[in-house]
Amino acid sequence: MNGLDAPILPTPVAWGLLIAFSILWVALGWWLGRHNRSAEDHMLAGRNVGMALATATAMATWVTANTTMTAPQLALQLGVWGMLGYSLGALGLILFAPLARRIRELMPRGFTSGDFIRLRYGTFTWRVFLVVSLIYAFGWLVSMAMAGGVLINALAGIDYRVGMTVILTVCVVYTLLGGLRAVIGTDFIQTVIIIAGAAFIAWLTIDRVGFEAIHFNLMEERPELLNLLFPAAIMFLFNNLLFGVGEIFHSNVWWSRAFAFGRNVGFRAYLLGGLLWLPIPIVAGFIALATPALGINVPAADMVGPLVAAEVLGLTGAIVVFIVVFAALASSLDSLLAATSDLVTRDIYRGHIRPQASEQNQFRATKVIVVLLGLLTWLAASYRGELPIIGSLAELLYFTGAFVASAIWPIVAGLYWRRANPRGAAWSMILGSGIGLASYFLIGFYVAALVGAAVSLAVMVLSTWLAPRPFDWDRLARDDVQPKGSPA
Amino acid sequence: MTISSTALMFIVVVATGVATLTPILLLALFIRDWKKGCLW
Repeated sequence: MNGLDAPILPTPVAWGLLIAFSILWVALGWWLGRHNRSAEDHMLAGRNVGMALATATAMATWVTANTTMTAPQLALQLGVWGMLGYSLGALGLILFAPLARRIRELMPRGFTSGDFIRLRYGTFTWRVFLVVSLIYAFGWLVSMAMAGGVLINALAGIDYRVGMTVILTVCVVYTLLGGLRAVIGTDFIQTVIIIAGAAFIAWLTIDRVGFEAIHFNLMEERPELLNLLFPAAIMFLFNNLLFGVGEIFHSNVWWSRAFAFGRNVGFRAYLLGGLLWLPIPIVAGFIALATPALGINVPAADMVGPLVAAEVLGLTGAIVVFIVVFAALASSLDSLLAATSDLVTRDIYRGHIRPQASEQNQFRATKVIVVLLGLLTWLAASYRGELPIIGSLAELLYFTGAFVASAIWPIVAGLYWRRANPRGAAWSMILGSGIGLASYFLIGFYVAALVGAAVSLAVMVLSTWLAPRPFDWDRLARDDVQPKGSPA
Repeated sequence: MTISSTALMFIVVVATGVATLTPILLLALFIRDWKKGCLW
């Protein structure tokens, strides 16, 4: 029970909500995906997604359980800079906007981020990238599955493993049925639910507690949370900025959308999605600052959001939080399941195991891989707290920071820098991840991405300066359309 | 250096205001795309 004396939400109510939303997502997934006939339909939703759905899916995927639960946790631990630093994650979406346009121009028939790295940098760098990308994807999947179990356990007293299993199963089923079309369609509804719910809780917290009381009690009990020169928090701010940029730049979740959005939609959708995402961590995180004013004892930092909502709003607050976090979990879990299964299908199955796989083979393979990913995630999330690196949600999330930040510069250089050195790209990821991880353990979670990105940048610049390798951009579009390509 | 109550209120109220308007904007975009036949 995470130290909570009693469930905030009656168990029958929680089961009712779980069942109702599970049926809704699965039915929508089936309905939206009923016309999928090929791997391209399933993986890229027809490559012509419009502005409304594109903007919503960018936002929904980036509003994860980590946003709705970790933003309050970070506000509680790092104060004002915690929530402001988290909101800088929006820069990842905003900065990806021009990249999305460039990706679509360079690879009009591309499928995955792995396709790009393979064609641009060759086999060695491609394999390094796959390791980095899959470690991150798996870490993110597990952290969201854990968040689902923690939430349901704390709010409704349902066993952690049972709750986690239900959420994961629902997401696997509708992703399996509808592919990216189901993911994007459900994302739209989930975005509206998440943002409206978070804003509702924030307005009522402001109304019930008030800024004067929040500020006064923080000054009395936790003045460091209002300190604008809190060193660890400022370090966190820059770390989070790089973490967000790295996550988005390298992950196939965002690349697959760049390929799926209609021509001229990607740039505008990512830009608008980023601008609208910016305030969400502040809205979700701010309520944690009300804990001293409310006299709430927080037994587990990652439960502060639901605790405050339930304290301020009672049963209604618990229900709203439950629905918001369920939607946030589903919107990210489904995206990650779909994008990671695409990456495994295209880059592992077709790229390494069966280069001659037909479109239909890949269509079937991607479904099998979604199920296997779900099973692996379930296994890892079942051992929450028993594995040395899987502690709190934030710790797990930032553990992957070194990996993702080290991929920023190889991606940017690969897209814009004609002379980028392919070996340098591989070593910038290897050394950036390695030294970033060392800093995670030696200094703290808040510097892993910062160090990973700095090392990666130095290696990328140095290697290209010493040994430039000119590249023909047209090769990306030319090789990209070959249906049965093998590793370069 | 401590953030004032007014500054904290300004940041949170602006953020919450934008978040409140976002679902309305998304629904308006959805209706526009739907009418133009370019949802997908």
